[in-house]
Amino acid sequence: MRIRMAVLIAALGATLAFSSNLPAQSAPASAGGKPQQPGLMSGGVPDLSGIWDPDFHGPEGIRLNTWDSSDPFAKHPEQAPMTPWAAEKFKDVRPPFGAMQTFNDTNDPVQRYCDPPGVPRIYMYPWEIRFIQTPKTVFILYEYTKVWREIDLDRDHPKDPDISWMGDSIGKYEGDTFVIDTIGLSDKTWLDQAGHPHSDALHVIERFRRLDHDRLELAVTIDDPKAYTKTFSAAKVYKLTTAPMGETLCAYSEMKEFQENVVDKTQTPPSK
Amino acid sequence: MKRKLLVALIAAASLLIFSGAAMAHHGVAGYDMTKTITVHGTVTKFDWSNPHVVVYLDAKSDSGEMQHWTIEFASPVHMVRAGWSKNSMKTGDDIVIDTHPSRNGAPVGISSTITFILKVVVNGQALPGRSE
Repeated sequence: MRIRMAVLIAALGATLAFSSNLPAQSAPASAGGKPQQPGLMSGGVPDLSGIWDPDFHGPEGIRLNTWDSSDPFAKHPEQAPMTPWAAEKFKDVRPPFGAMQTFNDTNDPVQRYCDPPGVPRIYMYPWEIRFIQTPKTVFILYEYTKVWREIDLDRDHPKDPDISWMGDSIGKYEGDTFVIDTIGLSDKTWLDQAGHPHSDALHVIERFRRLDHDRLELAVTIDDPKAYTKTFSAAKVYKLTTAPMGETLCAYSEMKEFQENVVDKTQTPPSK
Repeated sequence: MKRKLLVALIAAASLLIFSGAAMAHHGVAGYDMTKTITVHGTVTKFDWSNPHVVVYLDAKSDSGEMQHWTIEFASPVHMVRAGWSKNSMKTGDDIVIDTHPSRNGAPVGISSTITFILKVVVNGQALPGRSE
């Protein structure tokens, strides 16, 4: 186990070192200039290297609460195309966002227990992501909770993958787009900020494409026939940034202190 | 009547916008985002940690009663990117702060999310802000 961990750490370290030799991605396009064409790495694959920040301030700075583009803010979360199985599970949800939101009484597993948000919900948090591209593997580093994923480019999914928070991911380049295919996801996580459930049959497709030098689009497609009667998708935009990734760990002790010192104080007093 | 209706519509629209677009890990349903008040007091603790930066301050109410306020901001990472630091204020500092108060009347407020930072003046110096 220790050897495997050491190999893993060495591999990540090597790729991080390798990444410093990739074409410079941290310098945005010149101010006021026309957007540059997205760069290509040797081999003709799209260059995603660099740090990307969710765009909340620009015209595309839309915050997603669901992956259904027909209801991105979860104003009508009950209208998602849920199967009876999923609709039953959804009855127990008390989410922190959307039309059904509650502030102090949520049962969001991330907010309550610091559970990993998993894939694809991790993209709904407003923190940076970073790509480390190597010939056989693409690593994605997430500022939120400092987790990372390993997207292999040279294999298929296992026939019977273990179930995990981040799932089993494989990737490929399709022209200017990096496509990630993920299965084996734990149904402990919520699909989104509105608390929509999913099953362990969830199949997520992520498509990353540079719109121009400074903007990266992520389109997510949800395919879970046990939980939803049809597939659906939504997209969001990241912008290239020079801000270094910071520490946004979810420490249960800090979360509990915040809950007690801030959130609980806003509870509606009992009626007299 | 029409004016009242317009105000109500604006308030409702603001609530919908902020309830869907503001916070990092929790919504803002506990706060009245249509209301902004100013609190003047003394910092008793500045907690620079996740999930949200929090300032605790003592301030006298209009009736002269001392209140212990708790006001939250965005995460440390987001506050750094807005120009703040762990040294932006300290215990004993004089503070004048705008905040959206809690709905239940408790001395709790929110003065920043990932999309805005309300006016905060510490010892006469304004900290970096961001309009809503």
